[in-house]
Amino acid sequence: MTLKEELLISVEERPEMAALVNDALGALQGCGSLREIEDARVRLLGKKGTVTSVFKGLAVLPPEEKAVVGRIGNLLRQVIEEEVDALRRNIEHRETERRLAAQTLDVTLPGRRRGIGHRHLLAQVIEEATRIFVGLGYEVAEGPEVELDYYNFEALNQPPYHPARSLNDTLYVRRPDPICDDPADIMLRTHTSPVQVRVMEKRRPPLYVISPGRAYRRDEIDATHSAVFHQVEGLAVDRDITLGHLKGTLEVFAHKLFGRERDVRFRPHYFPFTEPSAEMDVSCFKCLGAGCSLCKGAGWLEILGCGMVDPNVFGYVGYDPEEFTGFAFGMGVERIAMLKYGIDDMRVFYEDDARFLRQF
Amino acid sequence: MKVSLEWLREYVDFDVEPGELARMLTMSGTAVDTMFTFGAGVSGVLVCEVLEVGPHPDADTLRLAVVSDGTGTRPIVCGAPNLAEGMKAALALPGATLPTVSEGKLEAVTIRGVRSEGMMVSGLELGISEDHSGILELDAAASVGMDLHEVLPLDDVIFELEVTPNRPDCMSMLGVAREVAALTGGTLRRPALDVDETGGPVFELAKVFIEDPSGCPRYTARVVTEVGIGPSPGWMARRLLASGLRPINNVVDITNYVLMETGQPLHAFDLDLLGERTIVVRRARPGEKMTTLDGAERPLGQSALVIADAREPVALAGIMGGEDSEVTEHSRNILIESAFFDPTGIMLTSRKLGLRTEASARFERGCDPEGTAVAALRAAVLMAGLAGGKVAEGDIDVYPREFTPVTVEVRPERVNRVLGTEIPASEMAQILGRLEIRVEEGETLKATPPSFRPDLEREIDMIEEIARIYGYDRIPAGLPAGAGADAGLSRRQLLASRIADSLVSLGLSEVYLYSFMRRADLDLLRVGDGDRMRRVVALLNPLAETGEVMRTTLLPGLLRAAAGNFNRGNRDLALFETGRVFISRSVEETPEEIDSLGVLLYGALGPPSWSEPARPADFFDLKGSLESLAGAIGVELGFEPAEITFLAPGRSSRVLLAGDDVGVAGQLHPAVSTAFGLEGDVFVAELEIAPLLDAAPEVRQFIPVGRYPNVKVDIAVVVDEDLAADQVERRILSSGGVLLRSVRLFDLYTGPQVPPGRKSLAYALEFGSAEGTLTDEQAHAEMGRIVAALEEQFGAVLRGGGNRGG
Ligand SMILES: [Zn+2]
Repeated sequence: MTLKEELLISVEERPEMAALVNDALGALQGCGSLREIEDARVRLLGKKGTVTSVFKGLAVLPPEEKAVVGRIGNLLRQVIEEEVDALRRNIEHRETERRLAAQTLDVTLPGRRRGIGHRHLLAQVIEEATRIFVGLGYEVAEGPEVELDYYNFEALNQPPYHPARSLNDTLYVRRPDPICDDPADIMLRTHTSPVQVRVMEKRRPPLYVISPGRAYRRDEIDATHSAVFHQVEGLAVDRDITLGHLKGTLEVFAHKLFGRERDVRFRPHYFPFTEPSAEMDVSCFKCLGAGCSLCKGAGWLEILGCGMVDPNVFGYVGYDPEEFTGFAFGMGVERIAMLKYGIDDMRVFYEDDARFLRQF
Repeated sequence: MKVSLEWLREYVDFDVEPGELARMLTMSGTAVDTMFTFGAGVSGVLVCEVLEVGPHPDADTLRLAVVSDGTGTRPIVCGAPNLAEGMKAALALPGATLPTVSEGKLEAVTIRGVRSEGMMVSGLELGISEDHSGILELDAAASVGMDLHEVLPLDDVIFELEVTPNRPDCMSMLGVAREVAALTGGTLRRPALDVDETGGPVFELAKVFIEDPSGCPRYTARVVTEVGIGPSPGWMARRLLASGLRPINNVVDITNYVLMETGQPLHAFDLDLLGERTIVVRRARPGEKMTTLDGAERPLGQSALVIADAREPVALAGIMGGEDSEVTEHSRNILIESAFFDPTGIMLTSRKLGLRTEASARFERGCDPEGTAVAALRAAVLMAGLAGGKVAEGDIDVYPREFTPVTVEVRPERVNRVLGTEIPASEMAQILGRLEIRVEEGETLKATPPSFRPDLEREIDMIEEIARIYGYDRIPAGLPAGAGADAGLSRRQLLASRIADSLVSLGLSEVYLYSFMRRADLDLLRVGDGDRMRRVVALLNPLAETGEVMRTTLLPGLLRAAAGNFNRGNRDLALFETGRVFISRSVEETPEEIDSLGVLLYGALGPPSWSEPARPADFFDLKGSLESLAGAIGVELGFEPAEITFLAPGRSSRVLLAGDDVGVAGQLHPAVSTAFGLEGDVFVAELEIAPLLDAAPEVRQFIPVGRYPNVKVDIAVVVDEDLAADQVERRILSSGGVLLRSVRLFDLYTGPQVPPGRKSLAYALEFGSAEGTLTDEQAHAEMGRIVAALEEQFGAVLRGGGNRGG
């Protein structure tokens, strides 16, 4: 039972109070503003208010009536207070709504953005590849960009007089005899593989290492060539590492980087530091294998080179190839970024136009 | 290497489609880069002869030709610059189809008032080459009126192969045919070598001496007499064209044909032009020169191996013949050279002379030492058949260093251990056998590779052969059982990436710049002679456009990137790079490589908003970025005024970490900005990264935050204008006692409210206690001590202060 119902039942015991009660409740009904409510409240409950006067009149009543009238008076006061509160809340709510309606925002105006910058796209690709291999249990190794012939070529089983060692292909810092190769020649590394030799020199298997980094080639800069480029190379050496493990590892990588729907294939190839060697292709992003201009009709895109570490390379670092086998792989970061993001000109990576940087 | 399938079928039968054959070759290591049909879709094109050429009456760029088509003459309008009287050309008749012109579209037309009954076409229009510089010129011997299909190898499917450097044997039709046979199970068919040797005993006709057997382990010569020089037959010319070679005459074409067929480079000498009909293989003598077939007179270094006659060099061994002994239309007697030269020697000479040819490329990779006699005989047989020559009896085969085959032990269990397979030993033996590797089966496989496979020397080489013919796609994929004990990123690597991420969250974008610069860049930066930045690493063979030295600072690159952006209309920049700089130690050593961080702010900050104006970046934005990134890895940087050549005086600072110099930060000197093509204020910093990583705390200790709110009090003090703000702050901290929790400058004021030469610094202080909420009285007592200390040390005057409440 609400207080109001209780009041109306109680008043039936004292019909002469019915008018008072009705007047009091009626006085609140017409209130349209906070001021009117306050005025009504004072008229009813103030020191000289009609309800207050009921209590003032109690003294002259006999005790049994005093109790009944007092109870009705109390109920009436409580009901009035309740009604006043409810009316106030109602009006306040309406006022707030009205105020807000008057101050409506155009929520379609642009937000006030905080300027968040951008990692370079190549850094993002390197980080993504790194995350995948870290998840497969690899660590990350780094090494010098200015290297000795020994680490860049010789210990990687690069045959002497190989064209890669020529002044046309490699940027040299020191090369006393321009025709002949010398392990002490100093050059800008042409791949990040020397890091692998340095790691193997210092440590024993098991090794699961990737070496992301910068490499150099003596290429005039155009849409598909850059004197500076980036690679992510990897090496796993352990007991009983197989070509099957190489395939499995790189398939996982390709599916994570390019999506599960890509097909992957391995083609025999030749690299001096691995044997057997392979190139890994993934099905073309653009035509999904049907053949298009991006894949030159082949349906496949060449992604990376890989193979089983050549026993000669183990010879240079003192590993017994009968005890350990391993695989190595290397990929060009620019190429992957170009294929994955549909970029057709390598120069955008190094021009660093703000409109390019902002896109990724 | 271009392979014509029509030609390939001479050596091996296969009943797979060209596309499938291409896939099989690709998947066995000899990638088919492109596959195309030579002149696909050409019909109605015939050989014509240009009889007359005259001007077009109404167009300067066109000419009017009269051509013979074998049955009559036709007027043709042609714009090609190489149009000439007497030339043979390809004429598309009205109604012809070309890959570039659809059927029925080619009609006799009237061009500017002159009738043209057909069109003379270029290689590009025929779809057989990229050449569109003029019309295709046909061999002078081509019969006028003959369909072009009779003259050119149209409709033949051509594979363009990518032959890896370890496979010199695949640089020949027979080598490719051998692979195809191994892959398809077909049988290799070698050309027949029957000939009547009617030219007299060879040793009476010529002599061969090898003075340098290490440079030339084998020299085989054949002699063919009484040849008639003339054009090659159509089938041979077509095959050469399909291989990308231009037919010349029957004798030269035969040497090229046999080269393409067997991979053995041959050279034909005019025997009558060889002094005393003698061949001497020797080193060049001091001062010797010769004119090679390309018309260049070349001084020969003493290490160069030459073919000489009794008097002088007549050829650069294995590289190029000489002009003086060249086969010409008058030659009658031919000496065919078929030799095996040391690959390294050829490579060195070819590199020294800067001369690479089809022959040198093959000798460098390694030819078949056992193949010289067969190739010489093959050429002789063809010269007898196609040039009417008489083959002399026998050959001169000087073979001082005989080839000895190696036998490699192949352990089947090792093969499977490397590949992760379970291939039976018998299947391995069978695969090797298909590649003409002799195999003796036993406990292990004893494999003896053929002489044309110099790449097969070790067990692992045999494993690769087994794997590629077995098929990489049949090898089951799996993951290694182990993993690295040090898996994951190191602490330093994580911190380094946090530095980059913090800068990004601060609104800076990362750039990747070249690692090169120019020495002149250091002059633009006004770097002094003794400065570390002057210790550059110079490149021996730099690229012209990127700079001749390795960078010793990131700034030139950053400034160029900013200028490039500025010129392309990107005027508000916040850039950073983390990259290496290179400081030379000495010319004999590799340089010191330092990971550096470069930062550049230019123009307005942040994305512009419609609601408030953009604010130009200033020094304190730069400094704040560095402070924030330091905070992100838990280190604190100090800044100290300094004079730095490329920074503006009074606006430059050294950056310190625990008192050590780790870099610079400031406003670029306007002269330097201008030198790099930038207008207005540029703010730059360059820091070494390693000291930041070294200083970053391994674990940050927890400091209890307290359960009671801090009391916040603001004070403003007036001090001398040139007093460094950080001195005031340090004094506040040192005098503040344990209850002082933090100090933050929130206002700097100079102006009418303070005396001239003075400034007002307003600080927000927070006091707190772990014991309970501080009363205002306690906070004011603390503040009083601080104000007293500032008054005492700096003559500071309290300008105002008050409680900002809890
Ligand atoms: Zn495609």
